[in-house]
Order: sequence, then structure tokens, then C-alpha cells
Amino acid sequence: MALISLKSVTKIYPLGHQEVVAVDEFSLSIDAGEFVVLAGPSGSGKTTLLNMIGCLDQPTRGEIWLDGHDIGCASQKELSDLRLRKVGFIFQDYNLIPVLTAAENAEFTLMLQQVEKKQRRKRVLDLFSALGLDGLENRKPSDLSGGQQQRVAIARAMASGPAVILADEPTASLDSQTSEELLLLMQKLNEEQGATFVFSSHDPLVISHAKRVVRLRDGRLESDQ
Amino acid sequence: MDLLTLAWKNLWRSRRRTLITLAALTFSLMLIQAFHNLSYGVYSSMIDSGVRAGTGHLVVYQDGYLQNRDEKLSFDPQNLVAEIGQIDGVEAVLPRLYLPGLAQSSRESRSILLTGVDPVHERKTNPFLRQLTDQQWLLSLDGREAILGSRLLKELQLKRGHKFVVTLQHSSGELVSEMFRVRGVIKTGIKSVDRSLLMVGQARAAELVGTPDRVHELAVILKEQKSGHGVFPFLQDLLEGRQDLEGLTWEKAMPNLYNAIRLDYASQKFIFVIMMMIVTIGVINTLLMSVMERFREFGTILAIGASHAKLRTLVFIEALLLGVVSMVLGSCFGALATWYLQAVGIDMRNFISGSLEFGGVVFDPVLRASWDLPWMIKISFYLLLLSFIAAIYPSIKAGRISPAAAMRHH
Repeated sequence: MALISLKSVTKIYPLGHQEVVAVDEFSLSIDAGEFVVLAGPSGSGKTTLLNMIGCLDQPTRGEIWLDGHDIGCASQKELSDLRLRKVGFIFQDYNLIPVLTAAENAEFTLMLQQVEKKQRRKRVLDLFSALGLDGLENRKPSDLSGGQQQRVAIARAMASGPAVILADEPTASLDSQTSEELLLLMQKLNEEQGATFVFSSHDPLVISHAKRVVRLRDGRLESDQ
Repeated sequence: MDLLTLAWKNLWRSRRRTLITLAALTFSLMLIQAFHNLSYGVYSSMIDSGVRAGTGHLVVYQDGYLQNRDEKLSFDPQNLVAEIGQIDGVEAVLPRLYLPGLAQSSRESRSILLTGVDPVHERKTNPFLRQLTDQQWLLSLDGREAILGSRLLKELQLKRGHKFVVTLQHSSGELVSEMFRVRGVIKTGIKSVDRSLLMVGQARAAELVGTPDRVHELAVILKEQKSGHGVFPFLQDLLEGRQDLEGLTWEKAMPNLYNAIRLDYASQKFIFVIMMMIVTIGVINTLLMSVMERFREFGTILAIGASHAKLRTLVFIEALLLGVVSMVLGSCFGALATWYLQAVGIDMRNFISGSLEFGGVVFDPVLRASWDLPWMIKISFYLLLLSFIAAIYPSIKAGRISPAAAMRHH
């Protein structure tokens, strides 16, 4: 059974008196352990799809299943629970909480899961070590470079051991060298720890690292290679 | 790191805004506590001096005397003075006789209220009599010495040692006169009292009008003013066998003073409520601004798994922290201000000349605070409650954030 399954998914946004079809009759299946990129130009529906897979939004029509859970029928509480237990997010602008230290940011999801303090600190330190963030635990996000902040964001996404990590344009704010380093790091996590990654990006560098590239145009599936 | 730590750190994102809000809350609480304690001290002092010179903390009258002050409504206290005196918490029981009449000197005559008192106990308790020396005070219950109000003395053109005549109505209806000598003069500061007060021994007054052993009033002075409502039931028990008598608390016996204090305090409470409302709006503003500024961040927090309830809790904890910090600081400053107002006070003589009369009672021109700890605790918890109430709207706002919409927000 696929980890993520989208069946004829349509998402329509109201825009004033009109409606915008962001995703149109889209179907896709992603298995556990995949390293997938949703590629396409701006406005092709990548982020909308990622938001729906990540339980941030629900489809207007169609079905989305995440690890056996029907997202379209879930209540707000169930959606937030699914986000907490099944999904890890990496954002384009890192979106770290500025008042917390790097380690506290990474611990945040574990805190929400009510994991005991010692345990979560150990888990985060292990991740920091794997991500090359040793010694930066007590730095505030403002004291970190873009690449370091994105590594902290990866640690935060990985910390709770989610079923899938969704990365929305994760390299858009980084230079090419840092982007390359991060992509290799995520590839390593995918290969060594079996973490499932789904990216949305139009960056050729990200696409070149993907094992599977799903191309979108105007909210529809263009190709799946 | 937990929600409490996060909330605390969030508060200090905008250090200046948080400090201004904390200062407003703290200052308001300090002012409210200090001014309440000042009023509490002034009221307590007014009540104490008022009741000691007036009806007492508790009082016993013949039924109907309070309403029409008819001198015929006197009663024989029998053993009541001794029995009431034995109730725990009672300092003194003062039998008094009030007789309207006329005082005449060789030059002038004036209407007076002759008050027959027990010289020994009266002097111990009545604050206006403390100014008199032994040579100026009544010698006995049945002597012919008299204490006059300062204005009455002046209007009768008398001096200490001078003689004058008092004319009263005898219980039989006849007019009776008796000569007294001025022994002392008191100045209460209350014009109506200073113009009509004439104090003599109770036995002499009673004998003069032909009602020996009778009194109009038994003023009960308590050791502690606050214990009035605890002692009152015992007084009522003692009066059970005397259907013609009624026991009253000072609030009922001195309604002018009681209502004046109530009215004054009501206006203060109104100002307190306005102050609280203003600071509540300040807290709402701080929390709401803080929520709106973190719209995108809240979207992130929701995206990584927090529930809307967690976000609402976070806003409430921030409000709680603001409330707790200002509660502690405000109470500390409120206590300091109370201590100063108790030790030094506010000298009203710098602002108002002449004596200060309020509700028929003259009060000390140096206003001093008195500790009302239960009220201080209560009002500081009100402040905490208001901080919570102030968080309701911002938390509703935070609870309605859609994570996908918030993530698109810039």
C-alpha cells in the first residue's frame, strides 16, 4: 500500500467572485522511502499539492490518503494530529521560531508530542551531529547562516520521525553550494534512514538529485518519471 | 523548553511594548491598592472617632428613640451596663442622657443639648475629651460642673469658672432650672456640636428632669472596630428579655456617617473600575498586536503539528505571565506605598484650612493608610483575571488562523 495516494484531487480557491482551479483531477501515488520532486513553473499547483499532502489544506474534490488516513474527511483536530505524527515540514524561508535556540526549535515537535525533556534533547543532539550542527545548539536563528538555519529546519522536520518530509522550495533562499550540500544531506538521510522526501521545486539542482520527478502544469499532471 | 518558556520568550520580543504594558498594569495595581488602603485607614479612623464620640460601635435605645429623639423615650438599664460590659470584646458601656433645653448666662441664652455622661468611662473613650486635663473634666456623676462646646461658650460670653443656668423640661411637664459652672471647654470641629454641646454628670441630669436611673442611650465601645458584627448577636441575646429596647450597630445608628463613607467609596470604586478597564484595553492591544505580528509564525507552528488549542493556550499563558508579573510587582509597590502612607500620611492641612468634617465626623487632617490585606490580595487576583479576560479575543484570533493561509501571509 502506498504511503501517499492522491485520487482525482481537485482544489479550487475562491478569488473574489471567481474561482481559481489550483489542482485539477490530479492522481499520484508515493511509496515509503521515495525521494520525489514535484516540479513545475510558478502557479502550477506544487505548493497547493504539498499543502494538501501535509494536511494543511483539504481537497475540494477527490481523495488524499496519508499512511492510511483519509485527509479529505479528517477534522481539524485530526489534521493537526496527522501533521504532528506523520509529517515533517521544511520551508523555503526556514520558518524557525526566532526567540528559540536552534536546539529548542528542533525540539519543538517533540515537545508537542510530550516527549520527555532528556529524551528529546538526546534525539536533537544526535540529529545535530548527523547534520553537521555540532556546537550550534544554543545559537538563535538570527546568529546562524541560511544554510545552518535550513539544517536546523531539517532537524526539526526529522526529529519526530515522521512518515514523510515535505520540503517546499527548500533551496530557494540558498546559494548553489549550500543547496548542493543540503540536498546531499537529505539524500543521505533518505538512503540511510529510509526517510521519505517530497519536494516542490523548479530548481534544476533539486530536480537533478531526485529519484522521481513529477511534473505539473496548470494544476495537472504533465509527466511522472 | 515548554509552552511557558516559549510564552515568556515571546513576551520579550517587543521589549518596550511589554515593559509599557507591565508598567501600566503595575502602576494601576499600586495606585488602587494604595488608595484603597488610604481610604480604609481614613474610614477606619473616622468610624472609630465617630462612634466613640457618638453612638458607640453598638448601641441600645428604647424602641423608636433613634427615629424621633423624643426625650420621653428613656429607659432603666438595670443590670445591662454590667452584663454588656462582660461580653468578650467590649471595652466600655457608656450610659448617656440627652436633654434639649436652654442655657442662659447673664448676657445671652442659647438652645443646648444637655448630655448626661458617666465621667470616668466617657473620658477614657471619647477622643474629644482627651484634650481636657483633670482640672477641666467633670468631678462626679452628680456634680454641678459642666463641659461646654467652644462655640456655645463664646456665644454665651462665658469663661471657665463662670456660672450659668440650664432650663429643661421636667418629666412632669414643668420647666426646671439649675445652675452649673463651666469647668472645661471642648472643640470638636463640628459646628452643630460645638454650638450646642453641654456635658454634665448623668446622675445630675437624670435627677434634674425627674428620671433617676434612666438613660436614653447605652453606647457600647468595642476593643476592635472590626469585631462589631461578632459581638452584636451577644448583645441581642442580652436584650431578648427587654422587648422595649433595640440593639443597633453603628451603621444603623449613625446612617449619615455610614452613607457618607459608602458614597465616597462608591465613587472611588468607580475610578478603580475605569482604571482597570483602561489597563485591560492596554493588555488586549499588546496581545492582539503580538498575535497579528506572529501570523506567519503561528502558521508554521500549526504546520509542524501544534493544534489551535495549543496556540490559544500559548496566548493565554502570555497573558497569565503579564498578569502574574504585574500582580507581584504591583503588590510590592502597593505595599511600599501603603507603608509610606501609613507611616507618613498625607497632611491635608497643606491643602485645606480649618477642620475637616465628613458625614458629621471630624477626621484627622493627616490622612493615614491602614492595611487591608485580604482586599489587596483580592484586587491583585482581579488584575490577573482581567489579564485572562483580555486574552480572550486575541486567543480567538489565534485560534482561527488557517495554517495554509498563514503560510502564504507576508
